[in-house]
Amino acid sequence: MKRIGQILLLALAALPAPALAQSATATGTVGVGGQVAPVCILGTPNPAVINLGTLANTSGARVGRIVTFSEQNVTLPSSFCNFAGSQLTVQATALLSTDDTTPPAGFARAVNYTASASGWAASNATVTTTALADGTAATATGTGSVQPLPKLADLLVTLSDFTVTGDAILVAGNYSGTIVVTLGPAAIP
Amino acid sequence: MRKLLILAVPLALMASPAFAQSATGTVSIDGSVAGRCLFTTPSATISLGELALGGAGGTAGKLDTTKVDGQTRTLVGWCNSSAATMTVTTTELTNVASAATGFDNRVDYTATAVANAVNANDSSLTPASGTASAVGLFTGNIVVTLSASSTPNSALLVAGTYTGKVEVTLSPTV
Repeated sequence: MKRIGQILLLALAALPAPALAQSATATGTVGVGGQVAPVCILGTPNPAVINLGTLANTSGARVGRIVTFSEQNVTLPSSFCNFAGSQLTVQATALLSTDDTTPPAGFARAVNYTASASGWAASNATVTTTALADGTAATATGTGSVQPLPKLADLLVTLSDFTVTGDAILVAGNYSGTIVVTLGPAAIP
Repeated sequence: MRKLLILAVPLALMASPAFAQSATGTVSIDGSVAGRCLFTTPSATISLGELALGGAGGTAGKLDTTKVDGQTRTLVGWCNSSAATMTVTTTELTNVASAATGFDNRVDYTATAVANAVNANDSSLTPASGTASAVGLFTGNIVVTLSASSTPNSALLVAGTYTGKVEVTLSPTV
């Protein structure tokens, strides 16, 4: 019986063919790779310009002083960041008279307002300008909370609460201000 | 009577060739060659670069299909069996970063391998491998080409690194 067992072992050892068949298949691999850079895109502002018209009352008890304006809205459609951890910032500059002559007491050449950009993260980017009557300290910046995911959204910028320091009489002339909206990586704490 | 004996001797001498007869022995030789396929150039890399469209228009941030479609690499190998087949298996390009509404983190494509003037292909849109094609006995190039790239929602691509692969399997038998 032991001898038969030895013969069987020899016979099995003499059959190399199955081992060859198992390694006969070959696999080649082409690795494919690429990357996408982190970017933020803001949609084109609509409208791009807000014309408030006449800023001062032309009659009545508040003649010469600022008009009460309704909220002004600007949309930035299809704005996006393709990465996690982005933040919205609004930099607003008060409306200033193009005539930069320092106004006399009781007059002002600056109109302040609040700008708030919403639609991005849990808290909006909001800022209120605090320009003095002579137009100094006209620019201020506000930042919203961090958006933790890639996001695609229509942003809304709302302008409100137009005021003049000391409710002074506005100097005649043309006024202009700017709001700069920035979408980018969250600031590193 | 003496003369008869003399005649008998030559007859006996003529019979001697029957005792020197030739003999043939045969050694049979045989062997076999197992069906086999082998890649002598088994790997290559396609670096696609930036996958998203630039600019600020409506397509900004979406897949730039020109970066994927038409990309080609060549492997080299052979199969020694007329019954050999070739199969392509694609793995989609993916980004480990999470997607969100409006975004995709996956790029699909079709890969076509050509060897011995025979095509085999597979799309990463479906998980299964492509159909095996009878490539037969050959030696030479296996050209792999990418095409028909897309993203699941034609949406914006999440930033980050995307990786995938194409596997070409040569098998000596069906």
